Formats: sequence, C-alpha cells, structure tokens
Amino acid sequence: MGKLTIGVFSSLVGGTTLDFSVRLAKAAKDKGHDVYFWTSGNATMLSKTGQRAFKDYSYLAKICEELAGQGVEFVACEACAEARGYHKEDTFSVFKRHSMDWYLAKCCQSDKILHIGGE
Amino acid sequence: MKLGVILSEAVRTEETYDRLQAEKLSVVLAGNGIYHAVSKNNGKASDVLNKNADFYVLTEDLESRGFTASDLVDSKIKPIGFDGLVDLIMDQHDKFMWL
Repeated sequence: MGKLTIGVFSSLVGGTTLDFSVRLAKAAKDKGHDVYFWTSGNATMLSKTGQRAFKDYSYLAKICEELAGQGVEFVACEACAEARGYHKEDTFSVFKRHSMDWYLAKCCQSDKILHIGGE
Repeated sequence: MKLGVILSEAVRTEETYDRLQAEKLSVVLAGNGIYHAVSKNNGKASDVLNKNADFYVLTEDLESRGFTASDLVDSKIKPIGFDGLVDLIMDQHDKFMWL
C-alpha cells in the first residue's frame, strides 16, 4: 500500500472540488492507502467547526470524522484559516493546523501527490 | 513517464492540456469535465478527445449530472469509479495532475 497526499487549494464547502477531494481520500483509504489531506486558501473552510447536515446538501464533515478515525490526517493552512477569520477555537476537531512546511514534508514522504489548485 | 491528468472543467481556460506529452497519457474526465465525454458541438465531439491518450470518465460525476455510460460520445471513454481512479493514481502512473 502507498502514501497519498492530497492538497486542495480551492473550493468552499458545498463546492465540487472539495467533494471530489474527500471522496478520493475515502476511496484511497478504503483501499488501504495512507492518506494525508491538506487544505489551503478557501478550502480551509472545510476545517471550520459547526458545519451542519442538511438534506440534499453536501456534508463532508461526517466523512472527515470517519476518515480521521481510520487514520487520515486532515490539516489546514494556519495562515489561510486565520486570514479568513477561522481561528484555533473555530477549528473542527479532526483538523490540525500547520504552516505549509507540513504539506511540503508530506509531499516528500508520499508515493503520490494530487495537488488541486485553482481559482 | 506515465502521466495522468484529471480534467475538471467543461470550458477550458488553460493551454496546458494541449502541450501535454508523455510516454503514456491518461485523461480522467471528472466534475464538469464529464461534459467532454457526453456533448457534441455542431455534431463534433470535444477536441479534448483528440489527444493520443487513454480516456476515463468518473461514473459518480457522470450520473450526478443525469448521464449514464450510454450517453458517452466515444467508445474509447471508459467509465470508472473512485476506486478505479485510486488505482490509476497509485499503481498505474508516475504522476497525476489536476487541470
């Protein structure tokens, strides 16, 4: 089994890119791979606490919780989050916050990287 | 190099795709990129499909937009799920990129 780092730099909660990224993380984990999940820019919205589930609306927080329980590491760019007013106390419990050094280190340690830029 | 690319936009705003060359190239149509697999313009399929590559379309994104495999405009496009995409990324290509 391998190590996959997914870096998501775009998309807000409700956007298709974050949906894609989390579903890919789940599929990779289900196949037994180690998965590291980095969010930067607007994608740090996924690290915001208090997300609510609505019918027919994307609710990734639950999947993130399940994946974190299986060992997937979720990390938000601290500066990107702070810049958007998402402070430490606003951070969803499964997320850690680090500088981009963390992402660089995981990229170097991983077998494969999928860097999703944009915007 | 074995290179994979995920094309996620229906309307392309980049020229990177046109310049891509690889020993083996695979193109995965995902998100709104699936429209390249199901749409024709004036009877002509998307130029994206002209590339010398293996083509895949993400079934979940195809079906969430109301299409099925029977709507694909070219038989060379293979439907895959996320598990298939993971195999393409982890086992069958050296690098994968997102456009």
